Amino acid sequence: MLISIQNLTKSYALGDTDIPVLHGIDLEIEKNEYVAIMGPSGSGKSTLMNIFGLLDNPSTGEYYFNGINVSGLDDDSLSGMRNKEIGFIFQNFNLLPRINALQNVELPLVYAGATASERRERALSALDRVGLTDRIHHKPSELSGGQKQRVAIARALVTNPGILLADEPTGALDSKTGVDIMRLFDELHKEGNTIILITHEQQIANYAYRIIHILDGIIHSDVPNNNKRNNF
Amino acid sequence: MQLGENVRLAVSGLLDHKFRSFLTMLGIIFGVASVIAMLSIGEGAKREAIAKYQDLGIKNIIIREKSLSDTELEEVRAKFSPGLTIQDAEVIEEIVPGIVRVALQAEINSEVKFYDKSVKSTVIGVSPDFLSMMNYQLQNGDMINQKQYDQRHKICVLGAGVANSLFKNEDPVGKMVKIEDQWLEIVGVLESKTLFTETVGELAARDLNTDVYLPLSTFLNRFPRENILANEIQQITVQVENSNNLVEASKLINEIIKRHHFNNDDYGIVIPYELLKQEEKERQIYNFLLGAIAAISLIVGGIGIMNIMLATVMERTREIGIRRAIGARKVDIMSQFVTEAVAISITGGIIGVFLGITLSLSVSLFTDVNTYIRLYSVVLAFAFSVIVGIAFGYLPAKNAANLKPVDSIRYE
Repeated sequence: MLISIQNLTKSYALGDTDIPVLHGIDLEIEKNEYVAIMGPSGSGKSTLMNIFGLLDNPSTGEYYFNGINVSGLDDDSLSGMRNKEIGFIFQNFNLLPRINALQNVELPLVYAGATASERRERALSALDRVGLTDRIHHKPSELSGGQKQRVAIARALVTNPGILLADEPTGALDSKTGVDIMRLFDELHKEGNTIILITHEQQIANYAYRIIHILDGIIHSDVPNNNKRNNF
Repeated sequence: MQLGENVRLAVSGLLDHKFRSFLTMLGIIFGVASVIAMLSIGEGAKREAIAKYQDLGIKNIIIREKSLSDTELEEVRAKFSPGLTIQDAEVIEEIVPGIVRVALQAEINSEVKFYDKSVKSTVIGVSPDFLSMMNYQLQNGDMINQKQYDQRHKICVLGAGVANSLFKNEDPVGKMVKIEDQWLEIVGVLESKTLFTETVGELAARDLNTDVYLPLSTFLNRFPRENILANEIQQITVQVENSNNLVEASKLINEIIKRHHFNNDDYGIVIPYELLKQEEKERQIYNFLLGAIAAISLIVGGIGIMNIMLATVMERTREIGIRRAIGARKVDIMSQFVTEAVAISITGGIIGVFLGITLSLSVSLFTDVNTYIRLYSVVLAFAFSVIVGIAFGYLPAKNAANLKPVDSIRYE
């Protein structure tokens, strides 16, 4: 079991009152699953994604990642796990604007303490994997949306993480480029990666093998996707 | 994350905002420059003072006549003061403990003539030890010796300025010069002395190089006083064994002379070492003030850095969030921003060092203030700038490190 969540709740303090966002989530995700989490805005899916990604702590409940209870970990250990086990892919790419594509991809390895030559080698191979071999010395502002998202995916892949967390990865892309990115996810899944895809679009969610609907902070449905989309 | 990576990041951050970085550095630049310039001016003044008082002898007590008008002179004589006399010197040497030697001098202002040339000069009759006691060095010939003194030889030692004026390309030693109506043989020429530029007590500022020295015995015998009321001698210089005894010895000397002069205030006592200490003390207060100003400008510079770093952290909240999401620990973020602050302050420090050295050199070049840059002042100023960078970069860096990754990554 890669991810196991038991009775997880999350609420935010707003003044004196607590605003509950997640009310008791139970969820298990196996290695090499391809899961889409769906829900309208305000449903709590982004909060769940932040908790998956160890960016945020649950208020109550248990979260086991690879058998480790992460609620007991200190900040440095969480940083280490984000570095080695989690690959984030964001809607707005979140690349650092002042450094070029290659340096962006190398960045997680810098924090992992890899040597310069090792970083270079692994970053190049990750960029190669996402189909970006030219323009790697360009800054993000000089890249197209699709290219930026490929750089971001390469950055997520470069440490060989246990899980890829993609938050609306096609949200800022035109539909054709979006489909290209979804094909890349399909390939990465076939190569053995575990993928959690957060989206509010049914079209995009249909690329996954399992679809979880979140509504008002609880799991509304959790079913295998019988209409897995394969047309790219 | 490695230090090299941080430094690379910090430098590229500085270069991305050249003008802003420069403005941020200004406080540090001026702070460091003023520390260096200030210390170099202080050091220059100190060296000048030490040189000045060393010329007077730091183990000496100088008793000198007051320059009095004829009527004042008549008045003190009427009140029974015999004036400064050889006897005064003998009594001092006999009574005051811890004295190494006592030198006497009598003076007239006159002209020294050689053939058709003449030069204005202070003609001074001195006891034999005087020249060596005052650390005068010869460039040529010999000092006055005991035998010449005892036998009242008609000889003299010229100051460098007098020798230069009278003798262009010849060796003065062995030549005869005429002072008043007396012919004297030159036995030695002194090394050039620095100008005595300040009046200290009864010691008037003058150019020591225009002095001519001859044995006091010869002087008293050959150069009669113009005014019968004038003092027998003009100055007594007492050298003590230990500079700790200077104040006590001078008190005793004052008691003796006061009694001899029947309480007439017709002499003054100067203790060069005490004056040096006093001047040093005054300069210390002055240095402290200047140091405080420099420190304030460094602190203001530091606050400038802190201000910009706080703004930078704010501006780069998103970047911090991204770095945290891909695995940066708090300490990584912290060291990144501290390094950036230190990079600003070090760069400012380096520019400040160059500016300070330039300032100090131009002060000594374009004004008559002497400056002297000591290495420690450069090291001190530079180290201070680094410390300011760390101290004032710490808080913004800590703020950056403590941002919650989940909030900062969504920050717009």
